Amino acid sequence: MKIDRRACLSALGAVAGAMALRPAVAADQFKMGLLVPGSVAEEGWNRIAYNALKHVEAELGAKVSYVELQQNPASFEKAFRDYAAQGYNVVLGHGFEFQDSALTVAENYPDTWFLISSSKVHKGKVIGLNTDSSQPFYLMGVIAGKMGKGAGFIGGLEIPPIKEALDGFANGVKATKADMPVRSVYLGNFQDVTAAKEAAVNMISRGADFVIPDADAAGIGVIQAVREAGPDVCTFGVFTDITSTAPDNILGTYLADYAQGVERIVAGIKNGSPLPASNVVFGLKDADVMKFTYNDKAKRAVPEDVRQYVDAVKAKIISGEIHTLGG
Amino acid sequence: MSDLPIRSSLDPAVRLLSRVGLAALAPIAAVLFALGVSALLLQLNGFHAADVVNVMILGAVSDKRSIAEVLLKATPLILIGVGLCVAFRCSIWNIGAEGQLYAGASAATACGVNFGALPAWLHIVLILVAGSVAGAAWGALAGLLRVYFRASEVVTTIMLNYIAIIFTSYLVTGPLKDPAASYPQSAKLARDLWLPRFLPPTRLHVGILIALAAAVAAYVFLFRSSAGYAVRVVGLNPSAAAYAGISVARNVLLAIAISGGLAGLAGAIEIAGVNYRLYQDISPGYGFEGIAVALLANNNPLAAVASGVLFAVLRSGSELMQISAQVPQVLVFVIQGLCILSVAAFGALRLRGPRPAG
Amino acid sequence: MQTASMLDFLSTTVGADWRLATPLIFAATGEAICERAGVLNIGVEGIMLIGAFSGFATSHATGDLALGFGAGMAAGFLTALVFAVFAVTIKANQIVAGVAINLLGLGLTSFLFRTYFISTGRGVDIARPLNIPFLSDIPYLGPALFQQNLLVYATIPVVIAAWGVLFRTSYGLTIRAVGEHPKAVDVTGKSVALYRYSAVLIGGVLGGLGGAFLTLAHANQFVENITSGRGFIALSIVVFARWSPIGVFFVSLLFGLFYALQLQLQADPNVRVPYQALQALPYLTTIVALMLVRNRWDAPSMLGIPYWKA
Repeated sequence: MKIDRRACLSALGAVAGAMALRPAVAADQFKMGLLVPGSVAEEGWNRIAYNALKHVEAELGAKVSYVELQQNPASFEKAFRDYAAQGYNVVLGHGFEFQDSALTVAENYPDTWFLISSSKVHKGKVIGLNTDSSQPFYLMGVIAGKMGKGAGFIGGLEIPPIKEALDGFANGVKATKADMPVRSVYLGNFQDVTAAKEAAVNMISRGADFVIPDADAAGIGVIQAVREAGPDVCTFGVFTDITSTAPDNILGTYLADYAQGVERIVAGIKNGSPLPASNVVFGLKDADVMKFTYNDKAKRAVPEDVRQYVDAVKAKIISGEIHTLGG
Repeated sequence: MSDLPIRSSLDPAVRLLSRVGLAALAPIAAVLFALGVSALLLQLNGFHAADVVNVMILGAVSDKRSIAEVLLKATPLILIGVGLCVAFRCSIWNIGAEGQLYAGASAATACGVNFGALPAWLHIVLILVAGSVAGAAWGALAGLLRVYFRASEVVTTIMLNYIAIIFTSYLVTGPLKDPAASYPQSAKLARDLWLPRFLPPTRLHVGILIALAAAVAAYVFLFRSSAGYAVRVVGLNPSAAAYAGISVARNVLLAIAISGGLAGLAGAIEIAGVNYRLYQDISPGYGFEGIAVALLANNNPLAAVASGVLFAVLRSGSELMQISAQVPQVLVFVIQGLCILSVAAFGALRLRGPRPAG
Repeated sequence: MQTASMLDFLSTTVGADWRLATPLIFAATGEAICERAGVLNIGVEGIMLIGAFSGFATSHATGDLALGFGAGMAAGFLTALVFAVFAVTIKANQIVAGVAINLLGLGLTSFLFRTYFISTGRGVDIARPLNIPFLSDIPYLGPALFQQNLLVYATIPVVIAAWGVLFRTSYGLTIRAVGEHPKAVDVTGKSVALYRYSAVLIGGVLGGLGGAFLTLAHANQFVENITSGRGFIALSIVVFARWSPIGVFFVSLLFGLFYALQLQLQADPNVRVPYQALQALPYLTTIVALMLVRNRWDAPSMLGIPYWKA
């Protein structure tokens, strides 16, 4: 018993000593923090925020740090506060669920900027950044309508970014070929790869030849199913470039270079330039943020006339003539 | 109770302290062992092992706000852990605390966003009661299935977890969805319905006091009341209990209803004290972590307080670890797992002799 | 619906059902043997995860699928060994030890995955479907039943073997006796502990195999928490199937059926119920089924209770 206590105390003592020896961080370096709701190790939603953070670090020389909060809402406020208290200039909360806590913490830290992804908030220094997923998915829907017989969409959870993507996709299909069926499934999570694959297999067997995933990590199940179904079934890479996993089937990639958009806003903050008067929406108009590229090596690579049609549609979306979310 | 020679002439306070100390020895040694192994794991993977204790433990309790945050996280863990102590003492393997939490949170929200005409204090009480009742009912459902259909509660509570979580998803995308915004979440609770805070400027609210009260009440129930005694007897030996005239069915239902009720209360408190609205991922696994809390506490409600705080420290600390040292959060699971294994081992080794009660 | 599309629907469902049931069949069969010997291992989820990760990591590193499966089974074996030490030798509370194994499984696999595999995107080449000649040409049911990969087919011999071992060998008899009357086995001079160890280890090997199926024969990558609760479903299946391997096979198929159905019904534009109702379908039906079956407490008498030699 005595040994236990002594060992414990000496361990604590050693640690306290170690603490004292840690070098202090430069007080006036620009710092940016990131709160992600899931794991950055997965391709998809969280990863793009991580990339954004790294980009800011590289481009603006900022000190960066991130926290994975594993869907623990009770921790959001504390994490924001920790960053703000440590003098971080900008903190990005990656998801609309961070909005409430950011607004609360912002009251105590008027000098800190809070950026919230997928949010429409705009209050003081709390700015919502929205990537309008419905726009690129609308284009995918158009391509599917032009080239395919049946469409399918497999989403993770019914949260705004994914719902918008589905709505955009369905609208794109309907606008191009009104009677083409669009099937959709919500997995209920972002990890069940097996379920995603089976859902895709099912859709393919019912005649869908354009099946798109929007379920982060679980999406690879869909790609897998598409690949196994043969080169006549097509899909798109979503958020990141995974063309190498199914080169015959992936017709193109919607690359969300969120990093560019975030860096632009953060650079603006750093330079002190005035920020947009409302929340920020990244759409197809932001060519550096939303990139839609084609894979020429796919068996059913998108033909030139379709590409031109898509470009025309894209122009109409940018000009506001087409509303991808209907109405 | 214990078979160690404690002098009866010693001051009762000292005796109590020694008993508590000895009982806590195994878990403490276990936790230290687990931390040590985790530190090794970190070191082997290129991180600084010293960061584990430094940031994780000390950082989590370094100032008033940090301590408040720890207690905030500990509240649901304590409530659920205490409830599970009761269930486990009755040998009811309630793996469904997570679902019961969701049931409670959903009921609390439904109650909170309606009945606007009530005075605030009554409304808050109603919210907490609604949560507890919903959780208790959800637990009792599994209990009824066991009593009348011989359905294993391990199976039914797991199924009910999924159903509760899915139902919550339905509520926030449908009937309870906030009409003001397009997000899948409920409307926000009115400001006067938030659980009162008592330690400004921290977020610490009265939920922690409710949790502590629940722990004491559960302890008194289990060890100082005849009803609790019956529950424990049923847990230790159902046939002996039946022979003694104790109704196994009634105690099973009681135990799981209490357990579910506390989990539901935890859900209601999370709504009324922390999040102020309902959405899909309201719990990061409190229901499962609560199992670990109860087991580490050897199913003793008072010890569950310490155990709950410990797990909250680990969680809090792991977030700090990420902010400062970029150590992956999943390491907390490893630490928790090692803690439990160590406790199980140390605890079992103590059982070589006569089984200590309590 | 026309007959053709109905048969189509049926065949897709059957095929998906068997595939979705495969990891459950492996894990639940192993757990059934383990529980027959009186040891309740709720750490199946953790074992499956470890098997999934090890299989993936090995295949990724060596390019060899068979090695991957071997690694998955070996990892399951080792994890089960740890559990057995705590449950059988130290005689710690089995539920406690199982919970710990689950936490460790999730934490370790996620930790290691992030440290060494930060999403490469590149997966492994998974097991290809085997076409059984002639039979796979049967319309509709052919592709569903006879174009699965080796692992899916393997469920049948594994289940039959498990049943045979449990009910037709003296080893199996002893295993069952150890779960019902360990004292009786002890007095004949046989080691109760050894038999329990072997049962737990078999459970671990099969659990690891079930996990490896997910990453090597269905998806082609590991994803954190890829098992998504399948280990717990396996526990339910064992109870529901009354600890019989043959029962496990059919109950797993039942579960897989509802799981496949809910995905299909969600995708069907004609079905108008909220998708959450469909998501809940497999779990609701399990509960209803449990009610209908009315278990007569067929559990091995000593399930979960450690055995102390007198």
